[in-house]
Amino acid sequence: MKESKLIRFFILIHWVFFAGTTVLDKLIPDVYPLWVGADFYTLFVKLFASLGIKDPIFATTALAGVSIIEVVGFVCYLFAAVLLIKQKNKSADRWFSRGILLSLLLFSLFSIGDQVFGDRFTLLEHGIFWCILLISWIVFLYYGTAKSKVIKVSGSKSLRTAILAGITITIITSVSILRFSEDTWSQKLTPVSAEKISENLYKFDFPFLGDKYTLENTVKAFKKNHPELKVNYIYTGPNELNTKKKTHMLLYIFTKEVVEL
Amino acid sequence: MTDRTNIKVRDTVRLFILIYWTFFWLLNVIDKIIGGAHLLFVGRDRFAQVERFFDSIGLDEPIYANLTLILTAGLEAFALVFFLGALYFFITKSRELARSWFLYGIGFTLTTFTFFSIGDQVFGDHFELLEHGLFWFIALLSWMTFAHLDHISFPILSRVGAKYRNAFLSFTSLLVFATSASIYYHNHTSFVERNQAVSATQITENTYKMQFPFLAGSTAFEKSLEKFLGEHPRLQVDNIYTAPNSLRLGKSDGLIIYIQTAVKQ
Repeated sequence: MKESKLIRFFILIHWVFFAGTTVLDKLIPDVYPLWVGADFYTLFVKLFASLGIKDPIFATTALAGVSIIEVVGFVCYLFAAVLLIKQKNKSADRWFSRGILLSLLLFSLFSIGDQVFGDRFTLLEHGIFWCILLISWIVFLYYGTAKSKVIKVSGSKSLRTAILAGITITIITSVSILRFSEDTWSQKLTPVSAEKISENLYKFDFPFLGDKYTLENTVKAFKKNHPELKVNYIYTGPNELNTKKKTHMLLYIFTKEVVEL
Repeated sequence: MTDRTNIKVRDTVRLFILIYWTFFWLLNVIDKIIGGAHLLFVGRDRFAQVERFFDSIGLDEPIYANLTLILTAGLEAFALVFFLGALYFFITKSRELARSWFLYGIGFTLTTFTFFSIGDQVFGDHFELLEHGLFWFIALLSWMTFAHLDHISFPILSRVGAKYRNAFLSFTSLLVFATSASIYYHNHTSFVERNQAVSATQITENTYKMQFPFLAGSTAFEKSLEKFLGEHPRLQVDNIYTAPNSLRLGKSDGLIIYIQTAVKQ
């Protein structure tokens, strides 16, 4: 196989899936089983509201316009992929270029929007994707015309060794992943132990697997273990306190003695 | 510049690229093998991260996270093996083989990041999508640089006149000394802040402010609260308000909290 063919294939596959999942995200606009996605509708409504345009028709129309460009772009990438597999390179170049130009247009529009709505982080995000698209396009076209080398993989011995090494590392890693999963899975629901900091102040060091159910179980267990105390206040330790990256969340509970009447 | 020197510089650049990707995947594989935070290695708890992603789409059994991580580990392991092979062939001067093995490594890398990007869209994590998109791009650019470096002519780096050499050495030595002294002095005066309790400032009758230095961690926070409660035995903490970033003065303020108190009944 030639180097150029492989690189062109990887570029196209990436953008087919990128555009495909973006279109899916618009088709499934909310959180469903097997799909979370991003809530662009809410985002657009809020952005337009920040401009003083509160009627949702504007946000909906803008989102519909964006999705039209995304759908057409996706179809272009899909056609390019099919044509590349059929080895119709010139046609694949044309469809890929159409897809890229539409995506560039889309990210340019997004960038204008980001400036209007004052969202600098998203502006950076869209600028980076714009740049990645542009370079991908140039590399794709370059490998369509440039002389390309044939990929050489040495005698079957080296390749066999590589495959064997890859499988061995995968097995070792998989065993470790499964063991870690088995060891830590219980943390998901197990209440976190309290550490007494001072009179009426307790700390809880939540693991990464901890979620809302862990919190609820922790509070229940704490109350059960300390019937003489009443939870007065719960404080979530901000990120600044959590510098070691070892802990998912720090929680502090302030208590007071139950006064029996 | 002579062709020989040019080849040397190009080889050095290629070697750096190979070493970068070999270590990149080696450390990712080690991170998966170690799992969790340990002495001298914190890494990332990928199991927790992936499990939470799957939980968010209604698949709360750990098997889904495990299978995804195993598939990822396979892709990463093969990327590592091919980069290692490329490095071996490069050092043993089998340039054509090194190039092909490097391309396979890049192929596995691009596939891994495309796979991650699909996941990011499904789970709705656009920050990770940007991160993985950037790594995909860096992998593609690494290949382009590695494969097409022969078209670039490098300047001679080792030829420096005595005048410039002496000026360079004097100036850099001075700056190195000044910055090192400043860093060590800062360590000497500030490290104590990491665990030291801070004092509370009374703002209103029942409200107190605590302003933490940047170095302060959870121990400083806990010691500060302990100190506060010790100094005010008749008060109880009713509420703590963390000042949001928008209320802090640019980057000069660290963590600021306001403690709302009430007199113990």
